[in-house]
Amino acid sequence: MQLGGLDLFFWAAGLAGNIALLFVLLYRQLAHRFLFFTSLIALNVFRTLVLYCVLHLGTAEAYFESYWSLTLLDTALQLCIVYEIAVIVFRPAGTWAPDVRQRFLWLLFPSVAIALGLSWLATPPARFWQQAAVARGNLCAESLMSELFVLMMALSVSSGLPWRTHVARIAQGLGTYSLFSLMIQTGKSYFGVDRGAPMFLVLSHIRIASYLVCVTYWIVALWADEQQPIPMPEELRRSLFALQNKVAYDLQILRSRKK
Amino acid sequence: MTASHNLYFLSAIGAFFAVLMVVTGYYYLLARRSSQAGWEDILGKLTWFDRNVIEEVALDVADNTRDALAEDDDGLDPAALWKMIGGMKGLEILEQNSKVLIELACYLQRSHPEALPIAEQLRLDSRALQWHVDRLKGAAKTGNLEISFPFYAQRAVSTYYQMTRRVLALYEATNFTQLPKLHQAL
Repeated sequence: MQLGGLDLFFWAAGLAGNIALLFVLLYRQLAHRFLFFTSLIALNVFRTLVLYCVLHLGTAEAYFESYWSLTLLDTALQLCIVYEIAVIVFRPAGTWAPDVRQRFLWLLFPSVAIALGLSWLATPPARFWQQAAVARGNLCAESLMSELFVLMMALSVSSGLPWRTHVARIAQGLGTYSLFSLMIQTGKSYFGVDRGAPMFLVLSHIRIASYLVCVTYWIVALWADEQQPIPMPEELRRSLFALQNKVAYDLQILRSRKK
Repeated sequence: MTASHNLYFLSAIGAFFAVLMVVTGYYYLLARRSSQAGWEDILGKLTWFDRNVIEEVALDVADNTRDALAEDDDGLDPAALWKMIGGMKGLEILEQNSKVLIELACYLQRSHPEALPIAEQLRLDSRALQWHVDRLKGAAKTGNLEISFPFYAQRAVSTYYQMTRRVLALYEATNFTQLPKLHQAL
């Protein structure tokens, strides 16, 4: 497989963008907080390098196997990021909001079923069965990710749980990119996944360009300081810690009045 | 065959994408609208509920050990409880009001970010209240409402009572000028 000038440019830009984002995550000490997200970006750097080497030094089969196994890992990490975001959003006080986790898990099953259904309906024109399998797998993954981000947003709004600045930026970026990728994958499934197909290269370049926009957005958003809640004044803290006792005391007064 | 298959695929993807966009847009607008509301607007959303009833039911559930409840001969009779609360309709009012209480805490959070932990605790309380009401709705469907009502309804009212206390304590601590209005409403 020969790479054109634009292919090489996007490849290099993607690698540079991911390295820059990884640097921001480590330098701003966000890696421990967004462990799976940092792992995904590190994987992207690793994948770009590995696939480049395999493409030039290995066989077509080796490239397919490397691509497919790294894509599986990528999808698994994206699902872990959904969980990571859900933990931050739905456990604001350190405990899961009652039944939110259950609702979230229940919503997961129809989401997976819809994603599988859509990928089953797709019949991407391809020269080899592997190409069709990759296209279907990608479509399934992108559908699932899009659904999960939309569901998570709906669940957080309906539960009255806000999104903190950094976690919101990561989710917005990943959610928007997933929706965009879904459109790209739909196009590839329709027009064909062979490099010779007329729309394949155009769609691939659009997808990488959108990822670069997303990476730039993350770099800028995560470099900025997150709005920290002002520490609670001691007086208010004491008053709130005493609130539980105050409620119990009020109840005692009410009880004595009742008797 | 392939053409019709492609048509099904494109229709399904189109419908799927449209649903995702509609859901995203709806919840985005909902979140935006609630973050821009004024204090009077938020307070206006509260539906009146007899404060004495809330206090009395909360008092009854305060003796939360089984033994204490068994010994308490002043415990509320399920029929009386149903009447006092106003049945499921009354609980639904409290459920709606609990969301307003969160908005009231969030309103204060705009100028006092230290109110954040209270707003978050209220969200958890509201979810707990909603959970109790959902259990009762489930029980109503299976014909077990009469048995389940005293247990879940009392806990729902008690949770609501604690929420109102938290909101009042928060507004008192921040010396909010409209505090008397809030006391009156709650």
